[in-house]
Amino acid sequence: MNNSLERLIEGMAATLRADVIPHIEGDYARGQAFGVIYMLNSLKLRASWSNAFLLGQLRTLEEASGALASLAAELPGAPLPAVATPKDLPDAAELQAARDAGDAQMCALIDWLVQQNGERMDAVSKAQAIVDEYINKQTKYELTTGARPMFVEMSGGAEQG
Amino acid sequence: MGQAQAANGAAPAFENPDTLAEGLAKHLGRVAGGRVTVDGLTKYPAGFSWRTYSVRLRGYPPAQEAILRVGPPYGLFAPYSAMPEFESLSALAQSRVPAPRVYLASDDLSILGAPFFLSEKVEGDTPLPWGTQSQRLEGERRQQLAEDFIGALAALHKFDWRATALSRWGDGVTLDNAALRQIDDWERRFRRWALKPHPMAHRALAWLRVRAPKAERLSLVHGDYRLGNFLERNGRITAILDWELVHLGDPVEDLGWAFLPQYRGGTRLVCGLAGEEEFLARYQSLSGLTVGPETLKFYIVFSLLKLAFTHMAAARCFEDGLFNDMRMPAMATQIAPVFRQIAKIIGASA
Repeated sequence: MNNSLERLIEGMAATLRADVIPHIEGDYARGQAFGVIYMLNSLKLRASWSNAFLLGQLRTLEEASGALASLAAELPGAPLPAVATPKDLPDAAELQAARDAGDAQMCALIDWLVQQNGERMDAVSKAQAIVDEYINKQTKYELTTGARPMFVEMSGGAEQG
Repeated sequence: MGQAQAANGAAPAFENPDTLAEGLAKHLGRVAGGRVTVDGLTKYPAGFSWRTYSVRLRGYPPAQEAILRVGPPYGLFAPYSAMPEFESLSALAQSRVPAPRVYLASDDLSILGAPFFLSEKVEGDTPLPWGTQSQRLEGERRQQLAEDFIGALAALHKFDWRATALSRWGDGVTLDNAALRQIDDWERRFRRWALKPHPMAHRALAWLRVRAPKAERLSLVHGDYRLGNFLERNGRITAILDWELVHLGDPVEDLGWAFLPQYRGGTRLVCGLAGEEEFLARYQSLSGLTVGPETLKFYIVFSLLKLAFTHMAAARCFEDGLFNDMRMPAMATQIAPVFRQIAKIIGASA
């Protein structure tokens, strides 16, 4: 996910209140919608992104870090990522910060590899392949853990088969 | 949420329909040298960027009905200037590109509180790329729209901008650097919008930089040329809309964007209108340009990256509390699928 959970919940409640409830007919239905807002506000105080989801991303980073570490001697000066999955289970914010820090290291390595301009081509290609595999796994992971898109419904305002 | 404040703490004129109509009437009165009345202000629901309104005018000689576009300070691509769209549409009035006539524009915030421009209200409907199967374009209607769509693009890319006021846009843009300038421009936006590090964006930017092609011609490039950005009336395109990303560049850039799978309307056809080969053959014959496969591939990857960055802009606007529109975080969920499409094209996927 790209937005914070807190902001998503806040936006959902505001949208229901400002753009949905005024157009709902019937006290019962409006009451139900306010019930949804109340529950969303309650969730906002206690929920966070799933640790399991973030740990999955960190494990993939750790795997790529390990593979890149084996190229350290061939790539002197390369900003190789050094990411380890925490042994204990920190809260989601810590996991998210660790994932972002690992991805920032991966970005720095990609930028460094581009600047090698044909030097150490063999090691650079190997590192590039590890980076590509890492990116591939992370995007696949995000796709397999996401919900079915509902853009047609959002555009047309009607349930699709 | 989604509200701007003027320097004196009051809401700027554009935030309220009454003050917007009043401010516009006052300004048009000054320009026209008489009393102008603005009423019937109706906001169009689409769009995350510029706000679009239909207005009725009395006492304003150029038009009795018009479209008012206002660029709020919290829009997707803010901060805005009305001038690129106004100047390009003014220049194109002499061309074969179907585009709305423009009447006036201003970036002076003291008038409505945001940049704005007033243009012709062209009649027509907008076929959308995300419609259902029953809304697909078929038969003669599709063929005619395809001819118009490709013809308008070729006319745009053949347009002699150097013979117009747009000639001053050409400073520094060359056949050699047109692609690199666009990469630089979008990388700057990416760095402003990203909420977290994106290794795929760095990988794709690096891929693009080493493959930036030399343009065959410097043209006026629409920047968002696709299904959903034209008006149709009786099976003909009456106007190409949404010129906010217009710039000088490599004409193939517009093809890369139009060829994206996201705009195929659930078909295999480019913008739901024409097969790829048919599109290219017709475009090349009309424009006099040759579209090489590597250049087209480059601009498809560039367009996908541009799309991913636009999704990041949506995430950023929502996260900063500028909008509560749920379409914005929904758009943000599409960053990963777009990255996957890029990885497949550049060979970075297993």
